[in-house]
Amino acid sequence: MPAAPAPRSSSPSGFRVPLVVAFAFLAPALGLLFLFRVVPIAIALFGSLTGTKLTGETVFVGLANFRALVEDPSFWRSLEVTLVFNLVVNPLQIVCALALALLVRRPTRFVPAFRTAYIAPMTVSIALTSVLWAILLEPTAGPVNGLLRALGFAPQPFFRSEDQALASLVLLASWKGVGYWMLFLLAGLLRIPEELHEAAAIDGAGPLARFFRITLPLLRRPLGFVFVADTTANFLLFAPVYVITHGGPNGATSLLMFEAYQAAFTYLDQGRSLAISVLVLAILAATVTLQLRLFRERG
Amino acid sequence: MIAGRGLRFARTAARYTVLLLVALFFLLPIWWLLVASIRPTAETFRSSSEFGLATLWPSVVTFDHYARVFAGVLPRAVANSLFVALSTVVAGILVCSLAGFAFAVFEFPLKRPLFALVLLTFMMPFESIVIPLYVLIRALEWSNTYWALILPEVASGLVIFLFRQFFAGIPKELYEAARVDGASWFQIWWRLTLPLSGPVVAAGALVLFVHQWDAFFWPLVAAPSAELVTVQVAIARNVTLEVANWGELFASASTAILVAMIPFLLLQRWYVRTVGLASER
Repeated sequence: MPAAPAPRSSSPSGFRVPLVVAFAFLAPALGLLFLFRVVPIAIALFGSLTGTKLTGETVFVGLANFRALVEDPSFWRSLEVTLVFNLVVNPLQIVCALALALLVRRPTRFVPAFRTAYIAPMTVSIALTSVLWAILLEPTAGPVNGLLRALGFAPQPFFRSEDQALASLVLLASWKGVGYWMLFLLAGLLRIPEELHEAAAIDGAGPLARFFRITLPLLRRPLGFVFVADTTANFLLFAPVYVITHGGPNGATSLLMFEAYQAAFTYLDQGRSLAISVLVLAILAATVTLQLRLFRERG
Repeated sequence: MIAGRGLRFARTAARYTVLLLVALFFLLPIWWLLVASIRPTAETFRSSSEFGLATLWPSVVTFDHYARVFAGVLPRAVANSLFVALSTVVAGILVCSLAGFAFAVFEFPLKRPLFALVLLTFMMPFESIVIPLYVLIRALEWSNTYWALILPEVASGLVIFLFRQFFAGIPKELYEAARVDGASWFQIWWRLTLPLSGPVVAAGALVLFVHQWDAFFWPLVAAPSAELVTVQVAIARNVTLEVANWGELFASASTAILVAMIPFLLLQRWYVRTVGLASER
C-alpha cells in the first residue's frame, strides 16, 4: 500500500511523507513517553486530590492532602533539610567541578590518567556509593576515622550525629557527582580557542581577568546545563537516605523523596505521597525555568 | 632566570600535588572496597581502625567471600539486571532512533510541539515520577514483572535527541538518492542511516545500560520480589552494618562495580564526545 510517490523535498526542514509513515516512526517512542511520563504526572495531579477510606474506596478530598502537609511539622522539617542540602551541595559541586576542569584542561603528562581517575565514581551506582560510604564513615571500624586517628584528629560520628549527617551526605553526593559534572565543563573549556587567551594575555590581562572575561562567559551554556542537571539530580536524591540514615538522626537527613517513599510504603498514604510528588515536580519545574532563564538570556 | 625556572618548577609541583590528592580522594574508596573483598573480614577491620599501609594492601588474599556470594542470590540478581539492561538497550536504540529519524528527516503536523515534549521529558529525571508511576503499574497489574522494569525506560528523551542531531547532519541528497532508487523510508532508516550512526548507538547504549544497571529507587518499589530482584536492590536493600558478613557485602558490591566498568571502559570515548556536545545546545 504505501508505495510512496517520488521523493520531493518540498520544505527546507524535511520531507513531506504520508501521515501513516510519520506515525509509524513516532508511535513507539511517543506512546511510551506518553504512558510512562505524561500519564504519571496526571496521576500525581489528580491522585493528590484523593484519599483512601478505611473501606478501601478512593474518594475526592480536594486540597486536604496539601493542608495536612502544611500542618505537619515533619514535612516542614523535610522541606527545610532538602533546601539546605541543595543550597550547599549544588554550588559546592559546580565550583569543585569547574576547578577540576581548569586543573586538567592542559593535557600535560599524566593528565589524561587523572581525568579518568576523577570520573571513576561514575562506575559506582548511587546505591553502591551509599553502601560504600556508610562503611567508610562508620564511626568505630570505618577507615576514615582510622585515618583521622592516624593523623592525630578525634574520630567523628558522621551519619550517626544530627550535626554531621547532612554534611556527610554532601560529601557522599560530591564524591559521586563532581567528576561527572567536570566532564561537561571540560568539554566546554576545550572548545574555547587558545588564541583568545593568548590575545588577552598580550593585551595585559592577568589570569583572573582572563577567567572572568573570557572563560566564564564562554562557558555559559555548559554551566547552565550542569546547573540544571545537578540540581534536579540532588533534589531527587533518595538512595543514601534509604540505605544509610532512614531520614535520621532526628530528621536531619529526611530529604523530600524519602518522605514521599515513606508516605507511600511505610504509612500507605497514597494521597500524601502523591501530594509530595506534585510539590517536588513543581519545585523542579520552577528551578529549571529559573536557571534556564538566568543562563540563556544574559549576554 | 634561575629564580624563574625555580618558580615554574614549584608551580608544576604544586599542580601535580593537587592533581594527585584529588585522584586519591576519588580512587582510594573504590580501591579499599576491592581490597576488602579479597581479604579476611577481620583483617579489613583491624587495618581500618589502625590506618596504615596495611589498610590498602592485603597481607592475606582469599576468594571465600566471592565463593559464598556466587553460591547465594547474587547470580540471579546479576542475571536479572543484565537481562533488564540489555533488553532496554536493544529496544531503546530501535525505538529512539526511529523517533529521532522522524524528527530529523520528516515534515509533519505538530512536529515542533512534539519535539518540545521529548526535550521536556529529558529535563525531568525519572526519579521525580517514581511514586505516580508505581500507582500506574499497580493499576495495570504489572508489579513484579520484567515489563515494569524495562518498558518505562525504553523511550529516552536524551537518546531521541542524540539520534535526531545525528540524522539531521546527514546530507539530504543521500535520502533523495535512496528514494529515487525505490527504497522505502523504513529501509532507509534500517539499511542506510542506522549503520552510519555508530557513535550515537554507542553513546545511547551506554546511557541506557548504565541507567538500568544503576537503577535503585524504581526496581525497589516496582519489582521487589526475590525472582526479579536486581543487583543494586539485592545489595543495598538489606544493609545492616551490625551483621557479621561484611565480606560478602564487599564481594557483591565489587562484582556490581566491575560489571558496570566493562561497558564504561568500552564506550566512554563515544559517551564523552556525544553527550558532552549535547550539553552545549
